[in-house]
Parts: sequence; structure tokens; C-alpha cells
Amino acid sequence: MLKKRNLIATLLMVCLLFPLMAQGQTDSSAQKEVELRWASIWVGADSKAPAVEALVEQFNAENAGKIKVVIEPQPDYNAYEQKVRTSLAAGQAPADIFTIKFNPTTATFYQSNLLMDFAQKMDDGWKNTFDSGSIEQSKVNGMLKSLPMETAILPIWYNMDAFRRAGISTLPTTKNEMFAAFDRLKASGIAPTSQMTGDTNAWTSMIWFSHFAVSLGGPNVWDKPFTDPAFVEAANLLKRMITDYSTSDAVGLGAGGSGGHFLAGRTAVFSNGPWYAGRADLAATPFFNSIKIGGFPAVGPYQDIMISRLQANICAAATRDKAREAAILDFLKFLTSPSSIAKIAETSGAMFAIKTDYRPVKDLQKQFYDVNASAKTTAFDLEAALGAEVTLEFAQQLGALALGRISAEEFCRLVDRKIER
Amino acid sequence: MQAAGTKDRWVWVARFLFLLPVFLLFFFFFIYPFFFTVLTSFTSWRGIGSMKFNGFANYTKLISDPTFRKAIGNNIIWALCQGFIQVPLAALVAMILVRKPFGWRTLRTIYYLPNVISTVALAMVWIAIYNVEGPLNAILRTLFGQESRNWLGNPDTALFAVIFQTVIYIGYFMIILLAAAMNIPQSLYEAAKIDGAGTLKQEIYITLPMLRGTLITTMTLAMAYGMRHFESTFLMTGGGPAYATTTMGIDLYLRMDALRYSEASTAGVFLIIMGTLVITILRKVFGSSDPMSEMAQ
Repeated sequence: MLKKRNLIATLLMVCLLFPLMAQGQTDSSAQKEVELRWASIWVGADSKAPAVEALVEQFNAENAGKIKVVIEPQPDYNAYEQKVRTSLAAGQAPADIFTIKFNPTTATFYQSNLLMDFAQKMDDGWKNTFDSGSIEQSKVNGMLKSLPMETAILPIWYNMDAFRRAGISTLPTTKNEMFAAFDRLKASGIAPTSQMTGDTNAWTSMIWFSHFAVSLGGPNVWDKPFTDPAFVEAANLLKRMITDYSTSDAVGLGAGGSGGHFLAGRTAVFSNGPWYAGRADLAATPFFNSIKIGGFPAVGPYQDIMISRLQANICAAATRDKAREAAILDFLKFLTSPSSIAKIAETSGAMFAIKTDYRPVKDLQKQFYDVNASAKTTAFDLEAALGAEVTLEFAQQLGALALGRISAEEFCRLVDRKIER
Repeated sequence: MQAAGTKDRWVWVARFLFLLPVFLLFFFFFIYPFFFTVLTSFTSWRGIGSMKFNGFANYTKLISDPTFRKAIGNNIIWALCQGFIQVPLAALVAMILVRKPFGWRTLRTIYYLPNVISTVALAMVWIAIYNVEGPLNAILRTLFGQESRNWLGNPDTALFAVIFQTVIYIGYFMIILLAAAMNIPQSLYEAAKIDGAGTLKQEIYITLPMLRGTLITTMTLAMAYGMRHFESTFLMTGGGPAYATTTMGIDLYLRMDALRYSEASTAGVFLIIMGTLVITILRKVFGSSDPMSEMAQ
């Protein structure tokens, strides 16, 4: 009886442990095909998704039997960023190909041996397809462990239908004109601007603050201590925007709410990047054809500066497998070729760091290109210049500033303590 | 004799083999991460590259950080609200339902229903309720003529707004207390009735003492949850405005977000220490005796 029981127990243990020894069956002919995993955020509702999927299909068809790129959808951007961080901390690349938002915080990823360094792998022909400034911005201590892909300008969006209803026919170009326009919008019953203090970066208001700071302190304002008078004045202006010229729920509001107010016509002025232009819900608004993209009214001595950033840089996992490395480089060369980028730009409205002959025909996209071309120079926004941790502090304290709990000087001091120098 | 010894050995081998998978899971998913967290709390490490030992520097940094101290304070408030408001509310409802009033089964289900809905969904609902243009402000405006408030955007109201939408969901603890109350021998109530004790006295002198052990257990669970609270606050306010609603869990997450992994580990160690401290104090103050168990013995 005991022997039978022991035998049954042993058989049960073997059954439990057996699956650990299972290995996938592979077709010997498929072993020659290199499969690349791309953890892509350009899926689902993202305006770049259809063009990206089509390009991947095209590449796979052209390289059938040699290279196959498989997209791993990452529709939740916050969860995706978390995946990238924790994967790298755990000692593995999140996928063969993935993107990052390049800023001082993510530049830390360059210390990892998990990322492919493109500095020695790009030939001159490939390198010259990129905007040289973007390539230099993507370097850290000579290393180029991510390629600049999507760039963005962050201009001001004006709902001209709302402006015309308020009796305003031209865009404001100075501080006084701006506040006069906002007063008229308010009198006509519409909240002038979308603002927000929620999420981890107070996105819309962060963009406004960046415009204020750069106009007051110049394109290199981010090199100055955050207690500089330019930042204090920018903080005072932003506080006025939130308390006097925005919706009553601005404090604590997230990006969805801020954008939602603009889409619903509850606010007349917004700020966001070119990727927003390709959204279906924007195209469905009654004022879509009246949206005007413009520069920022000069509130300080510096004018005609456009806020811009590297929106998405593309990375690849470092590998000792030469065939895999070659496959990755082949795909990235294809993806970042001017013809591929033109296809993505055409359908999405996004802007890229790769030089192409593409010029948009859709009005809203055309406006972005025109505004970018007319800017004398560009400057980073706060998040791109100072990183995620500083931006988080900015967002957290912005609510206190807007509610009058802290002064603009105190606000700047609190943000300044998070900046590592 | 030899056969008996061999049989004992095989029994122990079988026990070991059956325990092995669970032990391995426990080791890799609890023991190892715990010690790794404690180890990294004594280093400076940004998730990439090597760790450098820096002694108690992280602990000093966190203790002197007003944001982290605020988080500890908020967690204590959470623990006290859940332990001393949510559990007593659950006990009150359990004591009513155990009397089996009309529709008690339906009421039991209704009270428990929010516990089967995801925290994310509930948080989204409450964000809409608390919105400046939301139904809460509309009701207060209509009934009391009160001005609309930005409940989640105001540091004075945000914390209690988030706590409120957790504390009112008493279903989980109510079910535990109801089950315990239903096991109280009816003979005690009959004897009390004969002696002339009314319903209120029966509840005070019979039900509550008999539920003592279960009450302490549910309070321990509730306060433990309060000490490690994260989800609904993160979804509703992200720890803001101006860190008014931040908790140790959120602080830990945000430090990890900024690639300050060693500081996040330190926050994790603080969380464990604070949680253990609160539970120990609770047990010391209220004891751990359980009249129901003693009666059963």
C-alpha cells in the first residue's frame, strides 16, 4: 500500500515538473528567418498606426524568408514607459526595436550595454538622411544609442470660429493683444485656454510655461537656475492663465480633459504637437477647418522662437548575433528612409527628424510645417530640457501655485531643488 | 524496525517534494525580492549600471524630504480611516443584517457588489462624480446653494475625497463580520432575552464581545491596506495636488519613474517598517483574544 502511494506521489511530481522541460518545436527552414520584435506605441488610435503597419507588411513581404518584423502593440503609453524602464533595470531589452522619449532622464538608458550604439554602425549615406541637429541632440558622450525619429513643435492652436464670434479676426502677437483677446473670449462666454495641472507633466500648461519662459529668458533659458526672474515671471503668467483664463476644473485636470475641452469647443486656445492633427475626433469637430496653428505671442524680449522636442527616438537591442544585428539595421534603414517617413507623415500629420521631400497638402499639417519654417530658432520645452523628475515636481506644485498656496518664487524654488547640476 | 525507518524517510521525502514548488515560488517572488529591496536601499542605483554602497544616505534623504514625510502622514490617516471608520461601519451593517430583516440577502449582495468591480472603473466613476460640473456639486448646489468645488483639485479636500470613495465600500469586511456574527450561538441571545435585555444591550454585551477576534482581524487587514494604499489615489489624483494625497506607495512609484531605484527601495523598506509598526500597536492595544474560539474549545 505504501509502495503504491509512493509510486503515485512520484508520478504526480514528475507530471508537475515535466512541463518545465518542454521546448518549442521549430521548423528547421524557419530558423533561417530572423524574427524581430518591435514593441510599438504606434498602434490602435495613434495616427501613425495605419502607415506603420503597412510599412511593416511591405518590409516583411520584401524580405520574406529572411527577416520578419512582428509588432507587439503597446497602446497604453504609460504602461509602455514602465515596461521599458523595468526591462532595462532587469537586464534585458524590452524588445529588439523600441522607442523612447529622449530627455535627460531617459538619457540614463545610454549607460546600459543593452542598447545598440549606432555611432559606429551608420554609414554617411544613412546618417545624412537625418537632421544633423537632431542627431547631435541624441548623442550622449559620443554614444548614439537611439536614432531621432519623430520630432514635434508645440505651437498654439486657435479656434478661429470662437475668435470670430468674440469679434477677433487676427491672432495676437504681443502680450497685451493676447490678454485683450482672452478678455473678449471670456466676455463672449468661452473659456479662453485649455490648462491642466494633472498627470505627471501637466502637459498643456507645461507647454504654455515653456513658451513664456523661452520668450522671457531666451532659447537657452533652461541652462539658468529655475529661480531666475524669467521663470518667476513665467510662473506668474501661467498662474494668471489658469485662474483667470481657463476652465474651472483646470487644477487637477489631465490631458484627456484639457484636450477634451478644446475638442468640445469649451475652450478657444490649446497647445499640442502635430500628432494631434491626425486624430479622427479632431477632424469631426465643427470648427476643424477653422483651426489656425500659430506661434506664441511675445511676452518677453525674445521672439519667433518655436518650442520643439525629440518626440520619439528609436532604439535597438544590442546583440552579438551578426545576422540579427544586420536584420535590425536593415529594418531601421527601411523605416527611416525618406520614402517610408513620407508615407507616415502624409497620413498622420506627425513630423520627423528625417529629411524628406514630403510637403503636406492637408491644411492643418501644412500649417505646422509653415510655422516651423517661419521660426527663427527652436528651444526645448521644460520636460525635454530638464527631464521627467523636474517636470513631475512642476506639475505637482503647479496646483498649489494656481490655488495661491505658494508664490511664484516659492514655486520656482521648489522646482529648482529637483534639478541636478 | 529498518522497514519503519525507511518508511519514515520516504514520507519526509514526499513531504519535501510536495512543498518544494510552493517554496520555490515563495522564495523567488517574495524572499528574494524582499532582500534585494533591502540591499538596494543601501546603494545608489538608477536601474542601469552598477550599484554603489552609500550606507544610510537614502534613509536620511527620505526622512528629510517633506514630500515623503507627508506620504507617511497620509498613509497613517488612510490606516486610521479604514480601521476606525470603514470596519465599524461594516460591523454595524453586519449586526443589522444578521438579524435577517426583510430583503437582507439582497442588501448583502448590494453592499458587496462594488468589491467585484475593478478599482480602475470605480476611480473613473468617482472622478466624474467629483468633477466641478459633476453630480456631487450639482446636488450640493441645488440642495444647499453651495458653490461648486474642485474636490480633487483642492489640497484641502482631495485627500478626504479619495478616502471617502474607498471607506464607503464596506462589503468585503461586512461579509467577514456577518459570517462571524452568524456563528454566535443563539442560546446566548435567548438567555439575554429571558433576562430582559433589549436588542441594543444584546448587541453591546453579546455580539460585540463575541466578534472581538474577528473585529481585530478585520481592523488589521483594513489598516494594512491603508498603509500600502496606492491604486485609487494614483488614478484619481496622481498624488497631487501639490502632493496633498501622496502615499508611500505613490512616492515609491514616482521615484522608480525617475529611475531612482535605490530611493524607491528605501521607500519600500519604510513601508514595511511602518506597516509592521501600526499592526503591532493595534495588537498591543486591543490584544488578540477571540472569545468565539475560546468558546469553541
